[in-house]
Amino acid sequence: MSSASPSYGSRPWTFYVLALLFTLFVIFLYGPMLAVLILSFQGPSASLVFPLRDPSLMWFDELFNPRRTGDVVGAFNRSLPLAIVVMVLTVLISVTAGFAFRRRFKGATLIFYTAIASLIVPGLVLSIGTIVTFRYLGLSASWNTSGLGAHLSWALPFGLLIMFAVLGRLNPSYEEAAYDLGASKWQTIKEVVVPIVFPGMIAVALFGFTLSYDEFPRSWLTVGSKNTLPLEIWTMTTNVTSPALYALGTVTTVISFLVIAIALSSILFIQRKRSRGK
Amino acid sequence: MNNMTPKAPLDTAAGTHDSGEIRLVGVTKKFGNAYAVESIDLTIPHGSYCCLLGPSGCGKTTILRMIAGHETPTSGEIYIGEDMVVGKPPVERGTAMMFQSYALFPHLSILDNVAFYLKMRSVGKDERRGKALEMLERVQLDHLKDRMPAQLSGGQQQRVALARSLITNPKVLLLDEPLSALDEFLRLKMRGELKSLQDELGITFVHVTHTQPEAIALADMVVVMDTGRIDQADTANTIFNRPKTPYVARFMGGQNVLTGTVEANSGGAGKLKSAAGSTFEVKLDDEAAAVGSQLSIAVRRDQVAIRRGGANTSVGVNSVAGIVEATEYQGSYVKVTLKAEGDEFVANVSDRAYFAEPVETGDAVVATWNAEDVHVLSKVDTGGASASYLEGGH
Repeated sequence: MSSASPSYGSRPWTFYVLALLFTLFVIFLYGPMLAVLILSFQGPSASLVFPLRDPSLMWFDELFNPRRTGDVVGAFNRSLPLAIVVMVLTVLISVTAGFAFRRRFKGATLIFYTAIASLIVPGLVLSIGTIVTFRYLGLSASWNTSGLGAHLSWALPFGLLIMFAVLGRLNPSYEEAAYDLGASKWQTIKEVVVPIVFPGMIAVALFGFTLSYDEFPRSWLTVGSKNTLPLEIWTMTTNVTSPALYALGTVTTVISFLVIAIALSSILFIQRKRSRGK
Repeated sequence: MNNMTPKAPLDTAAGTHDSGEIRLVGVTKKFGNAYAVESIDLTIPHGSYCCLLGPSGCGKTTILRMIAGHETPTSGEIYIGEDMVVGKPPVERGTAMMFQSYALFPHLSILDNVAFYLKMRSVGKDERRGKALEMLERVQLDHLKDRMPAQLSGGQQQRVALARSLITNPKVLLLDEPLSALDEFLRLKMRGELKSLQDELGITFVHVTHTQPEAIALADMVVVMDTGRIDQADTANTIFNRPKTPYVARFMGGQNVLTGTVEANSGGAGKLKSAAGSTFEVKLDDEAAAVGSQLSIAVRRDQVAIRRGGANTSVGVNSVAGIVEATEYQGSYVKVTLKAEGDEFVANVSDRAYFAEPVETGDAVVATWNAEDVHVLSKVDTGGASASYLEGGH
């Protein structure tokens, strides 16, 4: 150790390993997305592989005015409302449940693990179980009944976990201060708690929406005879062999990114407003 | 109904001079099976500045929170003025609390933080903001009214918290370790501001702290607590100079506690013999101390003189022999810590006396005091070398 040369902060070898890993991660994540995006502008040659020839928007047109593809617009008209309903319910239930769990009640741990367990159950199994139960009860499966339930079983635990983290950081003295200043329970929630945890609620909403909008396994048997968007895409991969598939991929990805952008920018907006004053 | 109130609560409450006397009668608080506070009786006079002082976990914050209405006592009664307040919300009690972290609402501007109480009473926007601005002017922060709490310094945040509490026009202001989040300079500054604010308002302040100098500097009444009980409640001067128990003497930090067996007691003068063989003279006024019984005494650190002396030189009465463990220069005096009588013994020697005859770590010395500076404690010391957090810094 006597001859140790002084170090001026050169990067350790782990930096290069992690940088390589991250590069691979980015390539795997965005490479396919980029390929789909580019090929969705394929020309009339209808080739499913590179190179891109005579770029056009014809496959987007094909998508919305279907001749050979399936019912994409109909599927979207089911997926979007379903995702919105799941989002709203996830926010409502996660937030209220989060508050309930703040004060330790009897059986809280049991209920928590019961709720979280649905993250472990394989989605396809849950899908089969749901449809079997519905049949047994004499109910018919539909996207807005059994489908909604199956999606909630997936989105709710995530929402709950996020709310736990958010409310865990909420200093109880804010609520005490509100009580001290004469606020009723309801006023405390409306004027103090909800505004403070609002960014967390947006995160829950975002999860609720995207988890439902993208969900395949839990939709598989539970949405009934009419497909949601992921199921429609899957069907198309088996019987549509045109770049319309890529066009669909591009459109759905753009919608997902839009939702995320809206959510993140509203969080940023709130934070900026808070740190800058009005 | 609230929209109709022509008078703001600010004026109405100021008109009625309710008493802000606080009375705790047999108050007990249990968390599970553990007593946080055990059958406490305490009266805090109207308009006084009271400090609840004790180490963490002694129950001082629990008492404050019970007075505030954020904690319900397991048993006992709490009165503010004439009203028994257990079960009432804070606003009805006439109390306002300033939280340790200030708990300013992060999503509201300073002005809206201060106006929060009025908003809860449905006072119109312009009116409540006007009143809040007046309150901010009082704490000289009106120029920052549109800032958010995160943009303020610790001292500014504290003033906002004060303004937010005072707009409720409380009879009693409760402060939970209000200065602990500030740096040393700001702490001394805010300490002075709190005191003058209390003088100006004339309402009762109850201030929880674990810092002895803070309590002594501020309080008309210091309540020293030890694990759920009140050891002594008195003026700062009495607490510091005439502590009742070895615990208070040690906790306040300015005293050395010595224990011995009463060897003689006649004509108001007694003699103690310590376990190590030293002899102490004490004035025993009405404290009946039978010959042969144990007695503890306290000697103020700054009334002790130090001289060099070998371990085998004769020590004399009112003295202990010891070895210097540490010397600490404090500016106007030098804190000399000895190991004597099997315990720590501290002498605060004036810098002039010290540098006339300096002592070093490891030197054998004799510490001496006058019999009239000895104060007899009402309890025999059992604690011995107590926990280090009792170390005061005086």
